[in-house]
Amino acid sequence: MTGKSLTAALAALGLGAVAVGTAVAEYPEQPITVIVAFSPGGGTDVAARSIEPYIEKYLGADLTILNKPGAGGEVGFTALAQAEPDGYTIGFINLPAMFAYSYERRTEYSRESFTPIANLVYDPGILAVRADSPFESLADLIAYGQENPGALPIGTSGSVGSSEHLAIKQLENKTGTKFNHVPFGSTAPLRTALLGGHIPVAAFNLGEATQYQEEGQLRILGVMAAERSGMAADTPTFIEQGVDLVAGSSRGIAGPAGLPVEVVTKLSAAIGQAMDDPEYVESARKADVPLNYQASDAYTAFIVQTDENLAAVWAEDPWK
Amino acid sequence: MAETLWTLFGPLWHALSVVLQWQNVVAIVVGTVAGMVVGSLPGLSATMAIAILIPLTFTLDPLVALGMMAGIYNGAMYGGAIPAILLRIPGTPPSIVTTFDGYPMAQRGQAAYALKIACVSSAIGGTVSAISLMLFAPPLAQVTLMFGPAEYFWVAVFGLSSIAVLLGADPIKGLMSACFGLLLGMVGLDMVTGHERFAFGNRYLLDGLNLIVVLTGLYAIPPAIMMAEDALTKGLSAKDLAIGPGESVLANWRGFVPAWLRGGFFGILVGILPGTGGSMAAFLAYNETKRSARDQNSFGKGNPVGVAAAECGNNADNAAAMIPALTLGVPGSGVSAVILAGLLVHGLQPGPQLFRDNPDIVYGFMIQMLLTSVLLIGFGGPFAVRTFAQVLRLPRVLLAPMIFGLAVVGVYTLNNSLFEVWLMLGFGLVGYAMDRLKFPLAPVILGLILGGMAEQQLRLTLLINLGDWTALFRSPISLILFGLTLLILLWPILRAWRDRARQMADERG
Repeated sequence: MTGKSLTAALAALGLGAVAVGTAVAEYPEQPITVIVAFSPGGGTDVAARSIEPYIEKYLGADLTILNKPGAGGEVGFTALAQAEPDGYTIGFINLPAMFAYSYERRTEYSRESFTPIANLVYDPGILAVRADSPFESLADLIAYGQENPGALPIGTSGSVGSSEHLAIKQLENKTGTKFNHVPFGSTAPLRTALLGGHIPVAAFNLGEATQYQEEGQLRILGVMAAERSGMAADTPTFIEQGVDLVAGSSRGIAGPAGLPVEVVTKLSAAIGQAMDDPEYVESARKADVPLNYQASDAYTAFIVQTDENLAAVWAEDPWK
Repeated sequence: MAETLWTLFGPLWHALSVVLQWQNVVAIVVGTVAGMVVGSLPGLSATMAIAILIPLTFTLDPLVALGMMAGIYNGAMYGGAIPAILLRIPGTPPSIVTTFDGYPMAQRGQAAYALKIACVSSAIGGTVSAISLMLFAPPLAQVTLMFGPAEYFWVAVFGLSSIAVLLGADPIKGLMSACFGLLLGMVGLDMVTGHERFAFGNRYLLDGLNLIVVLTGLYAIPPAIMMAEDALTKGLSAKDLAIGPGESVLANWRGFVPAWLRGGFFGILVGILPGTGGSMAAFLAYNETKRSARDQNSFGKGNPVGVAAAECGNNADNAAAMIPALTLGVPGSGVSAVILAGLLVHGLQPGPQLFRDNPDIVYGFMIQMLLTSVLLIGFGGPFAVRTFAQVLRLPRVLLAPMIFGLAVVGVYTLNNSLFEVWLMLGFGLVGYAMDRLKFPLAPVILGLILGGMAEQQLRLTLLINLGDWTALFRSPISLILFGLTLLILLWPILRAWRDRARQMADERG
């Protein structure tokens, strides 16, 4: 290679670098598609549409929500994993559900298929009973489960392999109890069955139960969180009641693997600002959405930990 | 007494003044018209229209948003009847039942009369339902709580027993259609064990078959193919299109009252039970009307009363489906689920506190459900009849590709899935073959809707009770539903006995 052509090549490289640099500096310069792996009107869709205008405000770009439901979200997660990593396709991901599928069946994505951007919501799991139930505390429930193994039905809002189902399995392993797992598929019918006395105990998420506890219809026996939640400050955690169990479901935003660092930083910051917007904070509080912002690094660590927990549970006792 | 009346009507009265503000009035008018258009296009549904509307309503006052939703909800439920009557293509799932008598009427040149009946009956159903929502929401919510998995199982079985009435001329073929529907209902991930059923490793099938996809395929595509086969290059001339005054619904109101009563009753009942939806309300109202009619054979051949029962039934489901949604947070239908999401977006959590903390919004919404029902008469009446019935004047060679186009666009927008478009077209071919071989299509849809529900609720019941099947007969509601199902299935035998006994008595006498 002659000196001249080397210079030319370097110049070209330099130009390329400049081109890349400006592209990133100008990002976002076109509308960004946000894949929501659930139908319009579902929990994730409402969450996405609620925060969309605030992210737009701080990012200075239009977001377009694209619903790609199917297979409990797997269709949408797959579409996100296979999208072009240019920052113009991002999507909502739901933990632990999306990784639980990878154990149950062959999925076309894994943990490495995504670039985590930010976590938005973390809703801890709970066990709840109707207000007139004989179970006053988690200890009552555990005692019953030890004396009558497999007799007490506990309804869950998911299907097999949901975060609630896995939490019950962990509860059984840690306390030497045995319960009868009854998957209801979604929260609304489960909560109605609980209120109507058709199922004695139910496991679902805190955000979907606090209103009912305040109205005196339900009693939350315990929250599966590391510390008490601001949404139900009087309700003890599992840990406080001697059971080391933390479980819940989270919603965050990720892109396909290989997203440029600048893009991740910019998106992550805009989401953080949106979640600090007093107007948004107020609307989330009214709708009982437990906000939990984690920037890219923390969220990545959280994802790794969630996936490793799943692997451990699966290794010990496959749920399917 | 006066005080209790005031606690009931005070908030309603106060909300009325808010509802009548001009922007809220505009909202319900726009919503109703939009709903009629959306409902009349096969594949496009009220659920989708409202879901798309939600993000646009952030900056609006909640009542403006809810007014539009109420309008879309009621408008779409009637709009579905328009293609059902004119083309035998149900615009929404519940309007399948409207095709039974509405389409034969249109073929007889009574399209305008059928549309008018559908319109008035929808308005009456919607009004009755909205009034039940206003007066009885809290007590009716308690009814919802009385239904557990065992009771829902019997609701589904009761609904399935009505297939007996839909079997058509050839019962064997009807039963085969129903079994095909039940089979379709099994596709997807098994919730209890997590195993895949009939999914063939295809993740697009894991959530099961989407009702709208199957419905659009079975009902919209075969007529389009047949129109293409006939290749008629002329439509009806303006002279032949009988949309003149025709018969008046009001003049014949006496004949419709029993159908409206049944429609209203079943609509409200089905509405407050989550997970069933307007299709079942329309099916049940139609069946009961047919069963109790003297001239049963005229049903399915263009009996106006059949249209009235079906349309009144499916609109009476609407407001009633909001009862469990507003009071318990349990949507009674797909549309009410989306409206619930719309409420959440505005920070309005369903439950008793909603009535306490935001009475203007809750009661305002109820009034809007009532007003939009009444509006149907204004917009769905002569005006819509004159407009929509013009479809019949289009040359059929033009109509066929338009139906194809609408069906493809409608199904694609549903989930942004091209797979579902192919699935819809596939079901179109199946529907065409079934039509040619004279298999009825309605039992397929009913099997698909209720088969999955019956199975899931049965398994939940058995799971909760550790396999003890006597749990299915434990509550009074279960026993009543079981008894009603038996009665429906045994009715033809009982009637045959009665007739024979009467005959023998006559012979002796």
